[in-house]
Amino acid sequence: MSRTKDKLGNFTPQDAPDYEDVLQCMRCGFCLPTCPTFALTGRERSSPRGRVALARAVAEQKLEFTDAVKHEAFFCLDCRACTTACPSGVRAGEVMEICRSQSHQQYPLKHVGKSFREFILQRMLPNPDLLEKSMLPARLYQRLGIQWLVRHSKALKLGPSWMEKAEGMMPDLEAPLRPQLPELTPARGEKRGRVGFFLGCIMTLMYPGVSRQTVRVLAHQGFDVITPKQVKCCGAPHLNEGDRQTARELALFNLDLFLKAEVDYIVTDCAGCGATLKEYEELLEEMAEHDKLAVFRAKIRDISEFLAEVGLRTEGLKPVHKSVTYHEPCHLCHAQGVSRQPRDLIRQLPGIELREMEEASWCCGSAATWGLKFSAESQQVLDRKLNNVKQTGADILITANPGCQLQLAWGVREAGMPQDVMHLMELLGQATPD
Amino acid sequence: MISKTAIQHLIDKLGAANVAYEKEDLLVLGYDSTPGIHHLPEIAVFPTTAEGVLAAMEIAQREGLPIVPRGSGTGLSGGSVPAKGGMVLCLNKMNRILEIDEENLTATVEAGVVTLDLFNAVATKGLFYPPDPGSQKISTLGGNVMEDAGGLRGLKYGVTRDYVMALQCVLPDGSLLTTGGKSVKDVAGYSFKDLLVGSEGTLGIITEVTVKLIPPPKAKRTFLAYFDDIRTAGAAVSKIIAAKIIPSTMEIMDKATINCVEDYVKIGLPRQMAALLLIEVDGHPAMVEEEAQGVDAILRQVKAAEIHVAKDADEAGKLAAARRTALSALARVSPTTLLEDATVPRSRLAETFAEIERLTQKYQLKVGTFGHAGDGNLHPTVLCDERNAEEMHRAHAFYDDLYEKVLAWGGTVSGEHGIGMAKKEYLARQIGPGGVRVMKRIKNAFDPKGILNPGKIFADEDPCTQAHVEEGFRVSH
Repeated sequence: MSRTKDKLGNFTPQDAPDYEDVLQCMRCGFCLPTCPTFALTGRERSSPRGRVALARAVAEQKLEFTDAVKHEAFFCLDCRACTTACPSGVRAGEVMEICRSQSHQQYPLKHVGKSFREFILQRMLPNPDLLEKSMLPARLYQRLGIQWLVRHSKALKLGPSWMEKAEGMMPDLEAPLRPQLPELTPARGEKRGRVGFFLGCIMTLMYPGVSRQTVRVLAHQGFDVITPKQVKCCGAPHLNEGDRQTARELALFNLDLFLKAEVDYIVTDCAGCGATLKEYEELLEEMAEHDKLAVFRAKIRDISEFLAEVGLRTEGLKPVHKSVTYHEPCHLCHAQGVSRQPRDLIRQLPGIELREMEEASWCCGSAATWGLKFSAESQQVLDRKLNNVKQTGADILITANPGCQLQLAWGVREAGMPQDVMHLMELLGQATPD
Repeated sequence: MISKTAIQHLIDKLGAANVAYEKEDLLVLGYDSTPGIHHLPEIAVFPTTAEGVLAAMEIAQREGLPIVPRGSGTGLSGGSVPAKGGMVLCLNKMNRILEIDEENLTATVEAGVVTLDLFNAVATKGLFYPPDPGSQKISTLGGNVMEDAGGLRGLKYGVTRDYVMALQCVLPDGSLLTTGGKSVKDVAGYSFKDLLVGSEGTLGIITEVTVKLIPPPKAKRTFLAYFDDIRTAGAAVSKIIAAKIIPSTMEIMDKATINCVEDYVKIGLPRQMAALLLIEVDGHPAMVEEEAQGVDAILRQVKAAEIHVAKDADEAGKLAAARRTALSALARVSPTTLLEDATVPRSRLAETFAEIERLTQKYQLKVGTFGHAGDGNLHPTVLCDERNAEEMHRAHAFYDDLYEKVLAWGGTVSGEHGIGMAKKEYLARQIGPGGVRVMKRIKNAFDPKGILNPGKIFADEDPCTQAHVEEGFRVSH
């Protein structure tokens, strides 16, 4: 999916889908039973096959890029379950992500909405210092201004009672992790290598305790951990909202930053970041040297993928006598194909019993801002997930992505369920001796 | 063009959520899995009861709209494509399993129940619904009945028709009728339900299906055999049948298919082999043992390159699942996958493979062949690009030649996909003008005005309903 090219049908030339990519769909429908939005509506246009057909109709000038096409682009959870299910290799989620970018070109936002969107995507997120200041909980109301948000929630197209949910989801915030982590956390025991740690925005701001464990576990496992302080947002929110240009700028920065660090691997504990980092190669095609991109791509690992690959050193791990069930983040299992590894790690922990839930790889309904934009639908998707969690009777619900963790922790609390919701690395952290 | 009043009437009867008339909805209800066929309906409805179907039928009649029933749109001959526009009647919201009758070994379901959901539901009661079309995860029972879907188990267990005991349907004259019942024997009058099975939505719209269930086999053994030459695989199939062994599954994949499937499933299929056979024998453990020995002996005798036995049910399940992705996986290599459904008497299998190879050469095409070798039902699939008219022309010539041979050998132009829009001319060739006349008389008896799924099964002169003509429904920008 290249940046600019000849105009394809009723798409604008900038960031349009490749015609080949939509033609690849032979409409077998294997994606239908895996699509949460199709399960909600039963309408073909809210299915991956239907969405690709809409994109194809726009490309073939049978349809304009209508409001309904735009709606479907944003109603797609981008969970990529359809990519996993598609034998033909169609990537409907990516086509929709591109269509989100089209939406902004075809339907430029009005002044207020536009400036707010630009403020978030182009000013706040690319700037870690600014982000950290604004997110200090006491300042959240004043600086970012929830009231300001309320006034402009229409421009953001957020769903009803989104604010209540957003507030409810907020974990108890500690100080951001980024300024606290040393550039180098030395390996313990026999050294096995040198990894760069990609600390994601949500992790440093909302789950500093999780990423602290990630670094600690990596060190305990024998790796020098390099955490570059200048790290910027991976670009996932920008891709999600259809701002591919800013995403490219961030990607270029991070690419150089980590290549300079001369690490064996680049590891992240955020599935959303991992999926995006693995897409840099495509995103930056024609903007960075191919070799550089390939080297970068070859180093990226999700933390669970990494530990399973190098082998978990289990000697000395403390037993944790708990039963756990594992919810697969979409951006880990579908976008990155990492499904077996987290389970392998869990099974290796002494004392832990893994109880599989039904539909472990079905989305939890968080999906970046989707859960706020479509709050009623999000609740339905979440209820389905919680019901499956309930049936396992496990003590702990494990996941591996901050978006899922926010949604699940909130959902479990609201539903009065007894489970603790934890990131896989918190569990590993509990098992790792001091 | 449908009137605003009619839309309002539909909304009143069915509820606003069950009526779709926006272009974006209609655009995506005008196709199934058949390449190159796409027509735009004027309205789509999603009734949730048989009464809703009746109401929709009545309004369509009044408006003079053709009615096209649709399940999940996974058909492979254009059966659910609205060839002449009109109303697409989506049955996928009628998806309740109404009853599993353990005394009579039957299940009664609404037409929109997904095939695999029925399979799973009866399995929890220790029962077995065998028909398993490749798209069983998605396809609906109503669609299965309308197209008389087959599947991987057809060879031993038969096809959908063999399990249909009763049907509830809405007929074009506005009547709601039940035909058949739970009695194992029933010769009262014409077997109307059998006429409905495979009628592709041209005689009535099915709202409820009662199927026969059987006890599941107690044991299974799954073989995976590799071959250096696809004709040897064909010979192995013929010999197994001739040895009076009826496996539950005997599936073939050629090299192109193996590679595409392996690209997707990554379970270590042999990329360099000319063909593989997936063979499963099932039944009583003693019988399975005996048949497995027989299969093994024949595979050795024909000199299969390698013979493997699945180590457990999980591995066997993965192999069958991999096979089910064959058609979709072939779509990895080309934008268009034009597949056919030629079926030959099993003694002709080796010759059929030879003929497919010859024609592939003759027309310089890329072809992947897979299918239900055990029942002679092959899916030679031309991997092409619908934008290349010249290549498409060669692809059609390939099938013309192939069908000529298939018919000469006493085969059929469709084993399990139906005629729909894609194979009307081939059907005429197979059954001749006399056969077509009889079928048309039957169609007229049920649907004199021709409102039910027009443009299917029978060739007519209207160029708009010819296969591979994509209607241009351009909108001004």
